Amino acid sequence: MRALRVALPEPVPDGLAPELAKRLFFVSSAIAEFDLVAEGGVITAVDLVLSGEVAESAITAKIGKVVAAEVLTQRALPPRQVWRSPVSVESFTDPFPLLLATDAAFVAGEGQVGFGEPVLSLVDYLDARLRSIALVLPRSREFRYPTLLPTSVLDRFGYFGSFPQFAMFVTRLHSDIDVYTGFVDRYRTEGRLPDDLFDQCGDKDYCLPPTMCYHTYHQYTGRRLAEEMVVTARGKSFRHESRYHTSMERLWDFTIREIVFLGGESFATECRDAVMAGAYALLEELGLAGHCEVANDHFFGNADTAGKILSQRMMELKFELRVPVAADRTIAVGSFNLHGHFFGESFGITGPDGAGVASGCVGFGLERLAYAFLCQHGTDPAGWPTSVTDRIGDPGAARSHH
Amino acid sequence: MGADNKARIREFVLDNIAETELADSDDIFERGLVRSMFVMQLVVFVEQEFGVQVTGDDLQFDHFRSVDRVDELVARKLAAV
Repeated sequence: MRALRVALPEPVPDGLAPELAKRLFFVSSAIAEFDLVAEGGVITAVDLVLSGEVAESAITAKIGKVVAAEVLTQRALPPRQVWRSPVSVESFTDPFPLLLATDAAFVAGEGQVGFGEPVLSLVDYLDARLRSIALVLPRSREFRYPTLLPTSVLDRFGYFGSFPQFAMFVTRLHSDIDVYTGFVDRYRTEGRLPDDLFDQCGDKDYCLPPTMCYHTYHQYTGRRLAEEMVVTARGKSFRHESRYHTSMERLWDFTIREIVFLGGESFATECRDAVMAGAYALLEELGLAGHCEVANDHFFGNADTAGKILSQRMMELKFELRVPVAADRTIAVGSFNLHGHFFGESFGITGPDGAGVASGCVGFGLERLAYAFLCQHGTDPAGWPTSVTDRIGDPGAARSHH
Repeated sequence: MGADNKARIREFVLDNIAETELADSDDIFERGLVRSMFVMQLVVFVEQEFGVQVTGDDLQFDHFRSVDRVDELVARKLAAV
């Protein structure tokens, strides 16, 4: 580990600091930690902690490239909140150490956490409440999808061109007797997986899904819908985020409750608005502080990044529900999105009149919502709002079993 | 001067759409004449063509929906210079 200060070729306005911060870990896997250096209201440099062998000039060049192409090209819009919870939090707890100590959570790997009671009952309860918000919408139905998503689905609407950093490919040894026997022979001789493992894994037909709604567009590809409809699904989703702190705040492998709206633009907008109102009411019922604000997707690695972010924010196509987990930090627990006719056209989904449908979707990160709840209410159900404990009973506190 | 500005804005929009019929009051996004990303090109065009900075509260979608609205924004920005 060594420290390096990289002066930015041009200062980055303070309003774009989050856009710089969210890209730095993706610039190079050698960046272990970073701090933005602010001076007179602008970011002038970044302090890095580097791991591994990497030329400083190469890191400096990569940062310069990202700053010039994807950060300075952006326009900082003033933040806009559309809702704020009437609940205020007096103090926060950091629940994760206690969950680990009491065997209520288990770190399985980077950004991967297993959990038991009382988190399990809490997550299931939160999902049941969100599911009920979805199922009161007009012509709604629920599906359970397989985890794997065909790569062709993501390819169809240009996912890899906008979000290459999140993509997770699933592969396996290529089906061929010579590949299998060669692999087994080497494995037995060398006692470990070969460095050129992926040379024997030609198949890349499946990905892990970054979110659930892509399964729904896949399901209705090329179909003419008899009526406007709502689809909800819960499932495992995966986004490679490059760096993970040990908690449930940001996971590589997590669960989304998704609600997709397919129909006219006004149908998608009305459904989106109804789910936003339902989510606000749920947050109040859960006794949680939080707010909802205009947001943008994490477009990356593309000359169109600035234009996509600007149009998304100006047209207010994405809102995020953010909940504080500490006095100085909020996390997004849900997002509310409108897509216009983008997915309808990309997947050939049409309405009764034969024209492409508009769509919208809402996704809630269940582990994140539960984690934010624990940060505000603690890990002992005795301290939770009765609106929750009346419904789930007593799952048992995160107590030591020793 | 004002009419000239509007003509320059109209010409830029017409250069970027397939249609040749365009009223200055037409919402070019609602009519589906341009993709949403076109708003970025409009922002950059206004800045470069008229030498003004479009920032913060200027960056509202309503200012960019039609030739008329862009012209109003340009007039306001030029008056403030």
